[in-house]
Amino acid sequence: MAAQPSVTLGELELDALTELVNLGVSSAALSLREMVQEEVLLSVPSVSVVTRAEAIANLEQRNTSRLVGVHQTFEGDIRGRALLIFPEAQSLELVRAVVGGDLSLEDLMELEQEALAETGNVLLNGCLGTIANNLGRSLRISLPEVIHGNGSEFINLTPPPRADSCVLFIYINFAVRRRDIQGYLAMLLDLPSLIALKELLAEFIERATATTVVSPPHAD
Amino acid sequence: MPTSDTFDNAILDAIDGGVIVVDQNERVTHWNRWMASASGLAAAQVCGRTLPEIFPDRNLRRLPLAIREALSLRASTIITHALNPSLFPLQSPTYRPLFHDITVSPVGAPEPSGCLILVADVSMATRREKFLRNRQNARYDAVVARAADVILTVDEEGVIQLANPAALVQLGYYTAELVGRAAVDLFETREAWIATWRGALEGSSSGNPTELVARRKDGSITYLEALASRWPTGTRSHVTAILRDVNQRRATEAALRASEAEARTAATALTELNRTLEERVQQRTAQLMNTEEALRQSQKMEAVGNLTGGIAHDFNNLLHVISGNLHLLKRDVAGNVVAQQRLQKALDGVSRSAKLSSQLLAFARQQPLDPKVIHVGNFLRDLEDMLRKAVGEGVTLSMVFDSALWNTLVDPGNLENSLLNLAINARDAMDNRGRLSIEARNIALDADYANTYPEVTPGQYVMIAVTDNGAGMTPEVVQQAFEPFFTTKREGRGTGLGLSMVYGFVKQSGGHIKIDSAVGQGTSVRIYLPRSLQAEETVVDMDAMPVLGGNEMVLIAEDDESVRDTVVALFNDLGYRVLKAKDAQSALNIIESGMPVDLLFTDVVMPGPLHSTELARKARERIPHLAVLFTSGYTQNALSPGGRLAPDVDLLNKPYSRDALARKVRHVLSNAAQRRSQSAN
Repeated sequence: MAAQPSVTLGELELDALTELVNLGVSSAALSLREMVQEEVLLSVPSVSVVTRAEAIANLEQRNTSRLVGVHQTFEGDIRGRALLIFPEAQSLELVRAVVGGDLSLEDLMELEQEALAETGNVLLNGCLGTIANNLGRSLRISLPEVIHGNGSEFINLTPPPRADSCVLFIYINFAVRRRDIQGYLAMLLDLPSLIALKELLAEFIERATATTVVSPPHAD
Repeated sequence: MPTSDTFDNAILDAIDGGVIVVDQNERVTHWNRWMASASGLAAAQVCGRTLPEIFPDRNLRRLPLAIREALSLRASTIITHALNPSLFPLQSPTYRPLFHDITVSPVGAPEPSGCLILVADVSMATRREKFLRNRQNARYDAVVARAADVILTVDEEGVIQLANPAALVQLGYYTAELVGRAAVDLFETREAWIATWRGALEGSSSGNPTELVARRKDGSITYLEALASRWPTGTRSHVTAILRDVNQRRATEAALRASEAEARTAATALTELNRTLEERVQQRTAQLMNTEEALRQSQKMEAVGNLTGGIAHDFNNLLHVISGNLHLLKRDVAGNVVAQQRLQKALDGVSRSAKLSSQLLAFARQQPLDPKVIHVGNFLRDLEDMLRKAVGEGVTLSMVFDSALWNTLVDPGNLENSLLNLAINARDAMDNRGRLSIEARNIALDADYANTYPEVTPGQYVMIAVTDNGAGMTPEVVQQAFEPFFTTKREGRGTGLGLSMVYGFVKQSGGHIKIDSAVGQGTSVRIYLPRSLQAEETVVDMDAMPVLGGNEMVLIAEDDESVRDTVVALFNDLGYRVLKAKDAQSALNIIESGMPVDLLFTDVVMPGPLHSTELARKARERIPHLAVLFTSGYTQNALSPGGRLAPDVDLLNKPYSRDALARKVRHVLSNAAQRRSQSAN
């Protein structure tokens, strides 16, 4: 139904973004590993820029049940919302994987909010921070908030996004303590932010392909 | 800006929560009063140091990383008490542990100049949660943890999220082994489980328990009854299934069914028993009545026998006198043909009378028997020709014997008479045409048989069955068949003593006799003679021996004067020298006087204190190879129990003919001579 986003990322830009997301996820995995004291494997099978409708369809396509999400906002040259989303049924598995030990269902459900908040926090910080850092920009990233709802509610959080906003939709797989959990990373961007991202990516590509090596800010 | 700084510090100190600010180098620049109070460290003690330096013994976990990310990436981080309990060593003013959440945020824009660390006291919330939790746990424990039933909580995906300790007992799985597994994998009856779980989840459950079959960890099967209900928690729905072990109940039901079946079988058996009880009582009563009847019959026979025996004995003595005198008269009427003819008719009459009285004695079991060990098979073979002649050509005679027949101790002459008698009865019953079979078999009569026939001693017998296919007898006739003078034959055809004689003889021989008969079918008379373990003896046919006299000295002991005179006359007639005594004592006196006696001829039963057998014993003491011949009308146990002679005792039955006397006397005398010569050698 919805048309293509008015602004799209080129193939090269998308490759660069995928590269950055992978970097961010790897960084997040390290942080998670520190947090759960276990090896955490995160992988990103696909990165795409889609319309909100497509994002909702993606979220609801495979999951009829309700979803749980960790929400953080980011502000700077690009602004928007970042959501780490799981099917509710899988969220407890994630909590169990993160917390470890033989916790009762009640214990898990009690810890669910905090555990999801911290896990999402680590992951989103890692991703957003790494991407922003590599793009030479700084984003102020808020504290996490855990929300429950369906795909449509997640993508259309109040205040209502502008009609031209789009979604950077990332599939993400967790493998923790021999548990495999599939989730999604969704970044809701308005059109100016997408344009800014596109520009930043172009700069990043230019820097990366330039013969002269320019060290990214804050990179040690 | 000291004023401003002082004011800022005052603001920070006024905040009811911990405020820490670190600079770009992660060193503490601000440490508010709350932090000082809670940590016990004054601002002056911590400023300029990093947090790991301030709390060297604490694992600060993600905090240093969070500070770095805040400074480098401008990222904010939350570190919760729930996942990171007691990150800082903080205490409340009452020195209780102070539970806290920490948030880390960048300070300054666009580049962060520092990092703000906020410490929030969540003790109250945590303690409230803990209280609620404990209360809930108490309830939980009371209900779930201690339940004997397995309680599983399953999520909307069908995955087990909770399992109580009963699962270990019932299914062999620890809680940790079950949580995260698909519940359906526990069940053999997968469809039934799915229906139960889905029914509960969708609220369409009937509420009735479902029986499920589960497989334990050890592979064994268990029967469970499931009650499932939906359990909404917040945004989720879970299904809690209570699984009750119904193995015992099933076993009990099975046992109940089995015992019911058993009870039914028992009841059927009882009914059957009741139904047949009457029948069995009747059977037993009939058996008892048969036994009583048999006893009564045998008592009657005994009484009749005693009576008959007494008469026959006296009758015999009279006959003896008549017979002896008639024999002697023969010489007196020599030349008078008419007188001789009349005399001969008188002798024939005596002979028939003697036979009659002999039969009576036989029935009374009082005839003297001279038993020998015989092989019935050989005996019957020798008898076959005579039997064939007796039954005539119209009767087919077949004889069947066991190949290894036992021997029996029986008087051969009487057995011959008995069989002849039975054969003739059979012939008459078949009206001269039919089949007669004589069968001899070894047989054991057991205690059961003996119970029915009181006279029978259980043991091994040789059975001789004489069977015809003649007219047969009614039970009433069979009942009376052995009674003397009872006959079904036409007038003049039978004396009614034949079967009586056979009966008495068999009884006297320690045997048993039985008649089976059915009208129109035939009759079978079975004689059972006791088995003898001794070897077969050679039977001497006395009748075949020549009639010879002698000149030996004979001592005759006879109480009846007329009999004594007759006997003396007979011995004299045969050429013997004779001494006579009226009783045993007189006879012994003669022996002891030293008279050279060759033969003691004594009546068995005589009045007086000395018994005839005692006389014979004492006489033999005096004259070791003395020949002894007893004579008697009946034995009445005088010679041996049961009226049977000891092997070395010879007996001559009264009444006897002159010839019989001559043969027997000769036989006894020559035997004695033989013994004498043997001992002389």
